[in-house]
Amino acid sequence: MTENKILFNTGSFDGIAEDIGKLTSTDESKLKLTPGNADSGLAKLVLTLVELIRKLVEKQAMRRVDGGSLTDEEIERLGETLMKLEMKMEELKKHFNLTDRDLNINLGPLGDLM
Amino acid sequence: MKKLIYAILSLDDNPDRRIAIPPEITGIPGDKLHLIRQGGIAAVAGNTNGDAVDTVRKAALQYAGIIENLSFHFTLLPVRFGSVMESEDAVTRMLEKNATAILANLQKVDNRFEFGLKIFCDSEKLSAFLVNKTDPAASTNDPPPTDLPPSVYRDYVNKKLKAHRLEEMMLAYVDSVIAVITSKVSALTSISRFTKMASTSNLIDAVFLLEKEKKDELVVTIAGLMEEHPMLTFMLTGPWPPYNFVDLNIK
Repeated sequence: MTENKILFNTGSFDGIAEDIGKLTSTDESKLKLTPGNADSGLAKLVLTLVELIRKLVEKQAMRRVDGGSLTDEEIERLGETLMKLEMKMEELKKHFNLTDRDLNINLGPLGDLM
Repeated sequence: MKKLIYAILSLDDNPDRRIAIPPEITGIPGDKLHLIRQGGIAAVAGNTNGDAVDTVRKAALQYAGIIENLSFHFTLLPVRFGSVMESEDAVTRMLEKNATAILANLQKVDNRFEFGLKIFCDSEKLSAFLVNKTDPAASTNDPPPTDLPPSVYRDYVNKKLKAHRLEEMMLAYVDSVIAVITSKVSALTSISRFTKMASTSNLIDAVFLLEKEKKDELVVTIAGLMEEHPMLTFMLTGPWPPYNFVDLNIK
């Protein structure tokens, strides 16, 4: 680069370098499908989509709880359902040896998927 | 010979079309860059033998440096790193097919540069600050009142609800900061883009398109924001070629 590009900075360079590092994709946040890892690669892809949908459902459910449109019994059932869904996801992640980071695909400039 | 494309630029500012790349700006392997002209536009290209450009960090930085040097001489559209076309004819056909969109983009970025603003925070400290600022009646710590006996499922919902409310508060806070930035930089430029919460610590990632001469005014404007938001860390960079302001789907 031909000139100093940082015009204004209120933080420490080390801290900012660490923060910027979090924005860049890591190996865990990439989908690597090859003939040798078709099973685990596909599992990662499918579980990523399932986790995204589960989180969207959870978010919508919380909006409804927060909006006060659910009865106590409905909230109870909702809690049971969401909890079991989360536990099932944990089981599946463990089975395929995946972590939360594996399911959070980096979308480049858009940031992380979740 | 395959062509590695660095940028597309306008020839309109040079009616005699004798525009030339300064000799000190060379391509990645040190070769001479040349223009492939089509109508009022031209692609800045170098020769390449390989099927794929070396994608190591050094090559990417060199590529960015070449585009930046070119941007100080010409209004241009930066091309994505590693864009290789089969031949000079292929480049000419691409320029011809996309001339209208390329010219519209060149007009948008004419004499303007990109400036980037990243705003970071300590998410835990900011969360605590926002929770404390909240009206006690709507506290994120209070579960909704109920006559039912305690249950693990209700506790689970309460925990999730607390996290949901905190996220909503963070988003509202980010929106308020973006509104302030937008109003403050509106005197300098109307062209800006914002990405919200790209990570837990990167609250806002903003880019502005403005004339290079307005750089100092932008620095003063952003410095003013720091005083209003002491919990946030600001990093302003630039001038950059207009990477984030090229809206072009090459046909």
